[in-house]
Amino acid sequence: MSDVLNTRRAKKQALGPYGRIGKSLGELDDRLGVARGGRTFMDKIFPDHWSFMLGEIALYSFLILMVTGVFLTLYFIPSSAIVTYHGSYAPLVGQKMTEAFESTVNLSFAVRGGLLMRQMHHWACDIFVGAIVIHMARVFFTGAFRKPRELNWIIGSTLLILAIVNGFLGYSLPDDLVSGTGIRIAYSIILSIPLVGTYLAFWVFGGNFPGTSIIPRFMILHCLIVPLIIIGLVGAHLFLLVRQKHTQFPGKGRTEKNVVGSPMFPVFMAKTTGFLFIVGGITALLGAFAQVNPIWQFGPYDAARISYAVQPDWYMGFLDGALRIWPSWSFHSWGYTIPFEVLVPAVILPGLIFNLVFVWPMLERKFTKDNEIHNLLDRPSNRPTRTAAGVTMLSFLGMLFIASSTDVLAKFFNISLNTVLLSLRYLTVIVPILAFPITYRICHELQAVKGGGRRKTPNVVTRSVEGEYTATPSPRYVDDVPSHLEATEVPTYIHEEPDESGDSGVRVVDR
Amino acid sequence: MTSPLIKRCFALSIVSLVALGPVVLFVGGAQASYKLTPYQTTRKNAGTPNSTFVKKNSDGVIIAYGNTSITYRAPSSALVTIGDALFQQNCASCHGAEANGVPANGTTGAFPDLVGLGPATINFWIDSGRMPATNPRSIEANRRVPRLTHDQALAVSAWVNSLSPGFPLIPYPHLKNANVADGAALFALNCASCHTIEGDGDALAMSTFSPSLRKIPSIEVAEAIRTGPANMPRFTGNLSDAQVNDIVKYVTTEIQHPNNPGGFGLGGLGPVAEGFVGLAFGVGVLALFGFWVGERDD
Repeated sequence: MSDVLNTRRAKKQALGPYGRIGKSLGELDDRLGVARGGRTFMDKIFPDHWSFMLGEIALYSFLILMVTGVFLTLYFIPSSAIVTYHGSYAPLVGQKMTEAFESTVNLSFAVRGGLLMRQMHHWACDIFVGAIVIHMARVFFTGAFRKPRELNWIIGSTLLILAIVNGFLGYSLPDDLVSGTGIRIAYSIILSIPLVGTYLAFWVFGGNFPGTSIIPRFMILHCLIVPLIIIGLVGAHLFLLVRQKHTQFPGKGRTEKNVVGSPMFPVFMAKTTGFLFIVGGITALLGAFAQVNPIWQFGPYDAARISYAVQPDWYMGFLDGALRIWPSWSFHSWGYTIPFEVLVPAVILPGLIFNLVFVWPMLERKFTKDNEIHNLLDRPSNRPTRTAAGVTMLSFLGMLFIASSTDVLAKFFNISLNTVLLSLRYLTVIVPILAFPITYRICHELQAVKGGGRRKTPNVVTRSVEGEYTATPSPRYVDDVPSHLEATEVPTYIHEEPDESGDSGVRVVDR
Repeated sequence: MTSPLIKRCFALSIVSLVALGPVVLFVGGAQASYKLTPYQTTRKNAGTPNSTFVKKNSDGVIIAYGNTSITYRAPSSALVTIGDALFQQNCASCHGAEANGVPANGTTGAFPDLVGLGPATINFWIDSGRMPATNPRSIEANRRVPRLTHDQALAVSAWVNSLSPGFPLIPYPHLKNANVADGAALFALNCASCHTIEGDGDALAMSTFSPSLRKIPSIEVAEAIRTGPANMPRFTGNLSDAQVNDIVKYVTTEIQHPNNPGGFGLGGLGPVAEGFVGLAFGVGVLALFGFWVGERDD
């Protein structure tokens, strides 16, 4: 008997049908009872649609931000102490600069992989905010924010604000000429708030601009406080998503009461892990081959120096654009000044926009008197008013975004800067107003398209013996209209009855 | 108690001081306004306070001056005749046969008077291809391939200078003696507010543009700083020859051939191009990958 047990096959058999991993999982279950939870987790059903991957871009670029950010904190010195540069970049040798700037230049030139990490961090940030925006647009236009998911919409919108704020804070940390200009603008924006502006600005900056405390403070905010809030809210966002289960596009076999899709393990796990590496790969490609924020060319910040043609990172563009095109209205009387040309575009306008975003689910419920629970998504064309409202807001923000590059446009097209500025003032008002009826009309036209949203099938052209050509449309794809859902074997560590039914890799569970 | 005499003397001295004060201040101010700052290199003065040598020709006209940073030289007077011919051919239709800005049948004031402008100014406008202008009425004479060669430009400068000698002469910077780091700091302080910190130039107000500095030769950079063409301020009092030399070195080395790691520079457009690449390439390509990974039947 003993000699039989010693064979490799006998040992393998002793481990059970799932091998070493299955055995250790079994041991773990004996002690902690992970099987039930683990099974629920692995069997979680993800409805599959490419647009559901957009939020994952944001999640994974945030992961990259954290990894590269930790690397950067090892070399970055958040200090406004003045030092003289003696590094390898000739045009800066002997110049006075803050330790923050010096350490950023050193980590770019003297640390192995430092520049790559810095550039990846910056690109990941640009992608992070961009992915949040398109994910949000997807959620908005498909109506995924409706009851019961209003809270997750609000968490997501808060995440967008936090991402923008943290992006600005991080952009400011190197204390280079361009970002220093950005901090100067932020200081003026705080100053413009009536009554409390001065106190607020002094409180944030620890005194008058620029002071020496803003870089250490931004560091704590950028690397500790804001990321912690973001991590907490991302956790809440994902928890709610699991708790409330996914939305899904309407289709055969899909109802408000069920979820049709692939299970977490192995289908979704494989897809999402692969996607994580794709996001990392694209970010690394950009970090390696596309230069971003070459601070050594800008030099250290100094209140006396200024560069022309300074733009913020893209996600701050709408604020910069609003500041650029707003008319110079201000109030001076009785010894007080209220700078409306700063207060309105930089404080009131973003406040209004984000408040509108927050209350939109409630507003829509109030106007449509639709208090039902929705798990099936809308096609955007089926909700023309909402779609048109969303396009209006996006086009307004888009015009403000374009307005932040007035000088680049004027230079590129060789037209007067004043003409560009004036036309953008008009366009920022006109384009959103036009966008609403146009979108509304297009939505209605799309509703009339037969078989909209279905894949087009090819026309089969045949030539008869006489030489006559006839085109006949081929039948609809079989998997376009799943007539029945077949059960499939999905590997699982827990023995169970096969699911009721499912298409290839598709399962149905009750909500 | 002091004696009345002392009191009276005291009062008198106060009164006289008060009366004399404005006079002293006026005279002093007048003196001060004639006093040149150490760096000045203007049309009236040959930059001698800043120069370690001054060379005159047999007629006593200054033909060269300078120091270890920049040598200013007048174009050779042998070129005057050919310069006259070139001027009549290429410039006189607007600036007039006498270079005084009055063309034949024209009115005064429509075109700039060139007499006494100094060779550096004349040479800059011709060498940079801005003159002869494509459109004499346009607000900007843009940089383009020069119509006259460098020698022809020198000849025209020589002829205009022969009408009434002016300064500055044509600057020849000695880049070996320049400090590129000082140049970088001075560039950020004096130039970046129009030409941008990367030297790419940009649109300014009312259809004026600050040109890109990416391909401008060192002599023209120095000429532009010292003469202030078009909208550009003329930097005379606040920059020494050594400082101008530092800036020229920074522009012709670090701006034109930057040590610029980190991949493609994205056209030096800064965050505009970065945002475009981040959104179009970063997010766009990732969304396409998502389209590839995810289902797309519905």
